[in-house]
Amino acid sequence: MNCQMCQNYIDNELSLLQTLGLLKNQKKLICQACESDFAVITMSCSGCGRQQKSTQLCRDCRRWQQQGKILLKHTALYQYNDAMRSFMQQYKFNGDYKLRGIFNSKFIQIIKSLSKDVIVPIPVSENTMKTRGFNQTTGLLEGIIYQELLQVTTIKKSHQSQFNRKARMLRQQPFTLKESSISLRGKHVLLVDDIYTTGNTLYHAADLLYSAGAINVKSISLAR
Amino acid sequence: MKAYYGRQLLNPKIEARPKNLITLPTFIDSVCQRCGQKNTEKLPNNHYYCCGCLTLGRVSSHDVLLHLPEPNEFDGKAALSWQGQLTAQQQVVSDELIQTLLYKREHLVWAVTGAGKTEMLFPVIHHALQKKYRVGIVSPRVDVIIELAPRFRAAFSETDMVVLHGAQTEDYRYTQLVLATTHQMLRFKSAFDLLIVDEVDSFPYDGDKMLVHAVKHARKASSALIYLSATPTKKLQKRVTSKDLTVSYLPLRFHQHLLPLLKTTVVGHWRKKLPSKFLRQLKKFYQEDRRFLIFVPKVSDLRRVYQGIKQCLPDIAGDYVHASDPERQEKVQKMRDKDIQYLVTTTILERGVTFPGIDVLILGADEPIFSENALVQIAGRVGRNHDRPTGLVQAYIRHTNLKVIAAQNQIKKMNQRGRRLGGHI
Ligand SMILES: [Zn+2]
Ligand SMILES: [Zn+2]
Ligand SMILES: [Zn+2]
Repeated sequence: MNCQMCQNYIDNELSLLQTLGLLKNQKKLICQACESDFAVITMSCSGCGRQQKSTQLCRDCRRWQQQGKILLKHTALYQYNDAMRSFMQQYKFNGDYKLRGIFNSKFIQIIKSLSKDVIVPIPVSENTMKTRGFNQTTGLLEGIIYQELLQVTTIKKSHQSQFNRKARMLRQQPFTLKESSISLRGKHVLLVDDIYTTGNTLYHAADLLYSAGAINVKSISLAR
Repeated sequence: MKAYYGRQLLNPKIEARPKNLITLPTFIDSVCQRCGQKNTEKLPNNHYYCCGCLTLGRVSSHDVLLHLPEPNEFDGKAALSWQGQLTAQQQVVSDELIQTLLYKREHLVWAVTGAGKTEMLFPVIHHALQKKYRVGIVSPRVDVIIELAPRFRAAFSETDMVVLHGAQTEDYRYTQLVLATTHQMLRFKSAFDLLIVDEVDSFPYDGDKMLVHAVKHARKASSALIYLSATPTKKLQKRVTSKDLTVSYLPLRFHQHLLPLLKTTVVGHWRKKLPSKFLRQLKKFYQEDRRFLIFVPKVSDLRRVYQGIKQCLPDIAGDYVHASDPERQEKVQKMRDKDIQYLVTTTILERGVTFPGIDVLILGADEPIFSENALVQIAGRVGRNHDRPTGLVQAYIRHTNLKVIAAQNQIKKMNQRGRRLGGHI
């Protein structure tokens, strides 16, 4: 079969342990070369998970603190480098849903190791669901139980044009809580997103979850 | 609206679209209506998408295809600005192509490398343009398209032509003449009255069902289809023998000289150490200021061979290039501009690309990556112009094998035919 990233042929040769059945034979979706292009985050800011030389809070995280936010203690698996950008391009924007399989098992394995009561993914808009057809974040979560408690607030077109969209997004809460039977009172919540960029999205989501009674909100993403 | 003439373009179902367009489903019985493949992958909520043609933008069950029938909105005032003269043999083929157009047939032009295929096409294309026909010229290879573009622009300077391929940035516009990679045909539907498929045997067209579908789908039900090849596949040859496909042979190059033969030299393990015979040849090239290509079997050989040459002959300027090299076009251009004397390359430059007056060396010609046809094509890079109608095609092999001999014989056979037409060395 061919590498899902570069289309080169992959030898799916079984290692000795796999032939003996001691190691599960996981079919590789990408080749060794492409795999090595992804940069694992080794040491990071304890607030946002950004790769850096120490675990000290970075400037952005100190700013979040000054604004009175409780830090998300974000975990991110990979740096947002060229390889990750090209993965997101193919997975998210070209809509190749099967590419979720490249990171899915590793991602949920790490999520399982974190302490939490409820897992809440960042939602996508209704429009995205009707064009892209999937939420890239829940795609990565396949095989684990999560609660879709958030939804993207639909903005009326006429309203939208009155403001600069980007500027408004920064200020305004983009999400609302769905009506749900699950109570967050006293719960530890793990928020999940595909990429942590500025932190705005996740902090907005966390605000809502705290207001719904969560005792603590942490977050994780595939890339930072 | 013109953007939809003879096209089938993807649009999300929920998005507003211009009125009067014909809306076609993206799937019928899970078969993708753009690429004709049944190769779907699931999406949530019982939706799905096609993996077959994903590189052209995803077709999913959330989308529709938008289409307008081809109206042939052209004025028919085409002029052929090419001033050249066809050889007597080219003229025969050219007339056969006009017949193909009149009878809306399928036809194969089996012409040796350097026969002047492109020039032979000009009269039939001119004919078609005057009849207000829409004409498509496609090739599976981007390099071929890039090389052909200026030649067609010059020949039909008054006819608007759009060039479409994956590596380009030019926007689509409705034109009578379309030059494109075969892949791009997936975006057309019943558009062409004349469709010409160049290098029909070359990767990735050969055996690629999707591209066969694309070509079939892009031409009108009643239209002419012309295949061009120097090395037709067995399948096409079979269609010729069973009279399912008419054929024109052109075994002689435009300059009336025979094809250079493929010479072989047995060498030791060239990956460990570059053979001294090979290096001696390079030195000769350097002293005589002759430009050349070196073909190697694998991408991983490129750097090593290049560095081996640099070490022994540090003064001679060259470079190496492979298919997914980001600087591929630039390096080929450097060779064209004579900024460098040689290129080490994999099979990507085996066809389409011509550099006048070059010689060719092939390391490991006995290895499986070089098929019989690939070797014939590589040999065909040499002796392409009037000033230097011949040259050296030297293969370095560890063992003689049937494939190398078959390639040598194929060239000899074409030369026999060419000699009968008056060809000479
Ligand atoms: Zn790869
Ligand atoms: Zn931080
Ligand atoms: Zn398709």
